Amino acid sequence: MPPKTHARRQAPPRKAPARRTSAPARKRTDPHREWYKFFSEKYQIPVEQLKKEFQDELDGKNPVDAPLEIPDRMEVFFKYSYGKQSRFFRELRMHQQILGSKCPQCRRVYLPPRADCSLCYQPTSWVKLSGKGTVIACTIQHFSTSAFIKKVPFICAYIRLDGTDSLLMTNMEMDDPSRARPGMRVKAEFRKNRYGIITDFYFRPLTGGS
Amino acid sequence: MAIVGVGTTKFKARWIDKTYYELAYDAAKLALSDARIGREDIDACVYGIYNDFFQRQYQPDAFVHDYIGMGLKPGVRVNTGGATGGSALRMGFSEVASGLYDTVLVLGVEKCNDCFNYEVHQHSPEVLRAILYTADMTYDNPAGRTAASGFALAVIAHIEKFGTPTERQMALVSVKNHRNATRNPVAQSPKLLTVEDVLSSRKIVDPFKFYDNCLYSEGASAVILASEEKAREITDCPIWITGLGASLDWVLPQNRPNIYEFQSSQIAARKAYEMAGIKDPLQELDLAEIHDAFTGTEIMAYEDCFFCPPGEGGRLIEEGVVEPEGKLPVNLSGGLLGCGHAVGATGIMQTIEVVLHLRGQAENRQRKNARVGLVQSIGGTLCSWTVCLILKREE
Repeated sequence: MPPKTHARRQAPPRKAPARRTSAPARKRTDPHREWYKFFSEKYQIPVEQLKKEFQDELDGKNPVDAPLEIPDRMEVFFKYSYGKQSRFFRELRMHQQILGSKCPQCRRVYLPPRADCSLCYQPTSWVKLSGKGTVIACTIQHFSTSAFIKKVPFICAYIRLDGTDSLLMTNMEMDDPSRARPGMRVKAEFRKNRYGIITDFYFRPLTGGS
Repeated sequence: MAIVGVGTTKFKARWIDKTYYELAYDAAKLALSDARIGREDIDACVYGIYNDFFQRQYQPDAFVHDYIGMGLKPGVRVNTGGATGGSALRMGFSEVASGLYDTVLVLGVEKCNDCFNYEVHQHSPEVLRAILYTADMTYDNPAGRTAASGFALAVIAHIEKFGTPTERQMALVSVKNHRNATRNPVAQSPKLLTVEDVLSSRKIVDPFKFYDNCLYSEGASAVILASEEKAREITDCPIWITGLGASLDWVLPQNRPNIYEFQSSQIAARKAYEMAGIKDPLQELDLAEIHDAFTGTEIMAYEDCFFCPPGEGGRLIEEGVVEPEGKLPVNLSGGLLGCGHAVGATGIMQTIEVVLHLRGQAENRQRKNARVGLVQSIGGTLCSWTVCLILKREE
């Protein structure tokens, strides 16, 4: 007799399904119902208002040859691993520390960090950065994607942190955004709630001389 | 290597009455009938389709392949952002040049405006959201950047370095391309604008105003490539591809030495000129279709394509060199600003425009005695990919 741990669990024998004379009376749910619910919650729009978008279609008012539009969405959820960059995001979240990664051979310091130097094919090592840097180029977004459209206007900038050889695409916050200029000295500020993502910090102009 | 057939649908904001593969079918039909050959004469297909979200379909090329009746023939899809059309042509070129196939259909299609944001009740923010999945998801995307802001930052860096382009120079590009579009029957946005109209249009991303930005378009364009021998069988008027250059820059602009020039564009242009034996592009080219996704980047492209030294691009538009009656007309089709930007189809639409001029079929926008033309196709969140093609008519 094999040891118990190896024993396979046997599926119970299948019962022959009871014969029915007719199909079960089950109401078919509207496949778009989930969609209405999702958008209603996401955007705080009443379901009725969303349905209105398709009202003529729902009421059968459109001509039979007219283009038929339906609600739909494409979505995938993740449990994403940062791989060898994990420490960078953990340090941001836990210690409000920005790390760069340095190649032992060419001395280049990467930010965004990468665990391997793309030029020398050598593993890099972590270096602490001061969080201070210089604006290379900055602009004000007056329009943006669905995810940010309600936040405009805001500043997007390429900033070079002191001690690094690359640029960081990031946000800047200041009282008068129109005064943001290339060459401006800035310093990283960390948000109160940090989630281990790149927007856990943003930049503010350095005041007081530097 | 020759282009023996071309066909494009109109570029429109929305083809509500057609799906992407139905649009592709229209372009394939036009190109086949232009070449006077049948579906069965095509050996292989290359598809330029950029964004799966736009089409609401992963691997949309397979469904196009099916719908246009190419089943069992080899087919492959290319996607290099805005340069998708140019890259599809490059792939088609390789397939014919290698001797693998004699006749290849290169078809680009894009249908973006089925994306819709119900909160602000507009298509554009949702189209942008779909586009921004192609920015680095970890470091770039979360900043709320857009394609426009990437290029705006490059233009700002260029202004910082050279003092140009000025807002007025950029507006002049917009005026030119929208006006050129009025003579192009397939253009989405034919408009007679003034510099003032452009400067006073609403702000999108500094320094770009509304009319500095290209349009979201839907459309399909197709060309048929053939080997020299096959081309002579098919047509009396082959348009030869005499030069091709391509480059993919560091996709994270962070790692580039600077962002005030596009090195991928310079390399692609240099390679294409070398292959075609062109030494002085401003003198030797008769027309150019440049990837003018934004007015400022058209001006940067004058420099990156070596029409002028670095920093002097703005002068070319001010002096009228790139106007239809100038020395080197740029974007007689209206470009992406005037004709539209149906991403996967764009590079192919630009190629078709040059082909029409070289054939002498461009009607009231015809460039007189056009012999040699340049097509530039760029893509990526900050000009990562560039493909340049040199087309030449039969002497």
